Amino acid sequence: MNDTAISDALAEASASRHPVTLRAGGVFSGMHRRVIDADEIDLRSRRAIFEYEPRDLTIAVECGLTGAQMEQTLREHRQFLPLDAPDASQASVGGILASAWSGPRRHRYGRPRDLLIGSSFALSDGTLARAGGMVVKNVAGYDLSRLFVGSMGTLAVLLRANFKTLPLPESARMFLAALPAGTRERAFAQVRNLRPEPAAAWWITGYEREVDGEPGDDGRIAILLECENALLERATLDWRATLGRAGIPETRLLDAGAHASFTRMLDAPMRLPGVHALSYRSPSLPSHALALADSLAEVVDRFEMQRDLLVDIMNGDVTIRAIGDAASFNQMSGMLDDALHDRAPRARILAGGGDGHDRLDCFGLLPNALAQMRALKARFDPHGILNPGIAFFDGRHT
Amino acid sequence: MLIERLIEALGADAVKTSPEDLACYSFDAYSQGVLPSAVVLPTSAAQVSAVVKIARDLEEPLIARGSGTGLCGGATPLRAGVVLSFARMNQLLELDIENRRARVAPGLVNLQLSERIASTGYFYAPDPASQRASTIGGNIGTNAGGPHCLAYGTTVNHVLALEIVDERGECFTTAVEDLGYDLTALLVGSEGTLGIVTSAWVRLLRMPSTTGVWLAAFQSIESASEAVSAIVGAGIVPTALEMMDATIVRAVESAYAAGYPADAAAVLLVESSGEPEEVASADAAIARIARAHGATKWQAATSADQREALWRGRKGAAGAVGRIAPNYYTQDVCVPRTRLPEMLAAVDDAARKHGIVVGNVFHAGDGNLHPLLLYDKRDARQVAAVIEIGNLVLARAVELGGTISGEHGVGIEKRNGMSMVYSTEDLAAMACVRDVFDPQALLNPEKIFPSGISCREMRA
Repeated sequence: MNDTAISDALAEASASRHPVTLRAGGVFSGMHRRVIDADEIDLRSRRAIFEYEPRDLTIAVECGLTGAQMEQTLREHRQFLPLDAPDASQASVGGILASAWSGPRRHRYGRPRDLLIGSSFALSDGTLARAGGMVVKNVAGYDLSRLFVGSMGTLAVLLRANFKTLPLPESARMFLAALPAGTRERAFAQVRNLRPEPAAAWWITGYEREVDGEPGDDGRIAILLECENALLERATLDWRATLGRAGIPETRLLDAGAHASFTRMLDAPMRLPGVHALSYRSPSLPSHALALADSLAEVVDRFEMQRDLLVDIMNGDVTIRAIGDAASFNQMSGMLDDALHDRAPRARILAGGGDGHDRLDCFGLLPNALAQMRALKARFDPHGILNPGIAFFDGRHT
Repeated sequence: MLIERLIEALGADAVKTSPEDLACYSFDAYSQGVLPSAVVLPTSAAQVSAVVKIARDLEEPLIARGSGTGLCGGATPLRAGVVLSFARMNQLLELDIENRRARVAPGLVNLQLSERIASTGYFYAPDPASQRASTIGGNIGTNAGGPHCLAYGTTVNHVLALEIVDERGECFTTAVEDLGYDLTALLVGSEGTLGIVTSAWVRLLRMPSTTGVWLAAFQSIESASEAVSAIVGAGIVPTALEMMDATIVRAVESAYAAGYPADAAAVLLVESSGEPEEVASADAAIARIARAHGATKWQAATSADQREALWRGRKGAAGAVGRIAPNYYTQDVCVPRTRLPEMLAAVDDAARKHGIVVGNVFHAGDGNLHPLLLYDKRDARQVAAVIEIGNLVLARAVELGGTISGEHGVGIEKRNGMSMVYSTEDLAAMACVRDVFDPQALLNPEKIFPSGISCREMRA
């Protein structure tokens, strides 16, 4: 569908008060509720690179473009955009923005919203409008582009997104290490103080089939170094020495496979081994992340489910996956959900839950500014036609 | 009634009403407005809330103000009302180095934050030229930038959470980590028209291991600007990439003896930070590009004192210009980086045609220009010429795919220019946001939006 067709579809939906829902890659569909009885606006064919001037380090794309296509385009010019989306061959730029997805490299390069410099969009009545532009600094008016980040398609339909791009680091190297007993806290602290700063770093237990690294008594760590060639070997020596002081005698290095290893880290929490599983992510301060991870692990253990944990060392996110058995999962998932939210009120479901997903608290603690968000929703979508019921903006979720 | 109620809520010491006090708050660095009805100096969010409720009852406008360094009239009262000065809410409230963040009151002066935490090895990255005076609350209002936002981003990239008093006097919070709409980003840069910031969590960055600062001299501003495009086009993003033309270089040398070559037509000030290997690599690569574009000099600062001297010249450039002209007007536009040479040519052309001397000192790496138009405000012809040149610069920036404000904001000055960048539909969408947050339009009224723009109802 082109802009005009989307505008017409929205105008018609608005006039008839008939809801519409947006279809793109579906990668983030587990992070919100399902929209029922709505006409579908399919954005998957909207994958054009609208404007790209590599010398300006900016790009404008249609929002159906996938993360992988974006990466491929930019890589040809030795640039990148750290969207860090799971399942990048399917995840669309629009989905990444609408779900406010942010990945493990955000502490270093920023979140997708930090690199967003403009957008064009269709309002609920079909009006086409835009905000921002193709310059890297712009304070002319309100930042509507970023307002739509996290909106789950409830305020407007994002048509195009403009980003500033970054020079691609010359080298990438993944460091993998099993942690001997009693080294986890020291390792965590040392990783946060490494120089040069890691591009991403995780502490992991479980996920043994999905992500790289040999398990140790205290779990394992994976650290991504991205830097210039001139720095690579000296940084490797320094990092190994620092990790050695934390009691980690060996680290395995992946060079050619670093990118693939990183991708597996991104994908793992969204991939479930069947329907009897749930994956959650909770934001946390880095200083509290390990304690939160232990607390959530204790909850899952109490339910006698298999668990996998990923802790984002640099940003503090804790991701936990619980896998139950067919006989008891549906019965237990509600109680598990309650118990996890008792310990991590801001935990959000990433994927899973099967048929019971809509009975679970997929969002966790609602934002303090809920009233302001609902007022915006009412103003921008007065007839409630955009993705009704997908989240809490229209008051259907309490 | 207004004054009595304010005094009752805040105490007499926090309410200023003398003509001398009111006069001090009737203007900012851009323009003279009208005398406010009162100036209040709250010490807490609760007091801000009380002031907002009183003003709302009496339908008095509210203008939040940091240090008044804004260059677009954003803190200037236009129809009396109450000015909220945050001079007494200037504390570093919490420092959480382990999680690389700090909570600050809005009146904390930008530079003071980095100075107060320097011993920890961390710093606050946004560094507008006004950072010795401007407050973090004011920086949030305009989404302030600065030389180092080339690498680190602008204020919006460094605000983690906000506490806001809304137009009803109620307090709410937003955080980047929150579910739902990114209200934090919406509020940053909204120039006090959507709510009043009463505290903010900001991100702190670890100081780099090594910093290199270099100066490159050129025989023409065109070759310097082409060098800038080539540096960025080669995928090199230094920490800062600043340009000064001959007018500015001479003014700076006269004022500060910063070590700039006085015979240069243009000077680039380049900073790169990181590990020693990265800085050495940037040195080699940028020097090569600069020379290929005709640089006649490539000089490294070899000591902290030399680095400081080079930066002192850049950061004091606007002040130095005050020594060579009775008045100057600073324009602020941003264009795609490859369009810099065309934009500079347009500025030069417009200034020549109108017989006005222009000095360029700007964030070249971002494509963010600041032509300083030198004039004498006692001369009506010069005043008219400066206004005309300013408008031509805005128009040309938009033609080149740029915007009318890169970092100073819109305020009063560029309200009408908004229609050059945005359609009526674009502006109406913004006006709908304004209407949601401030339906009575009492928060910093008559700023940002051109007259006649309002939130229209969605089509049925």
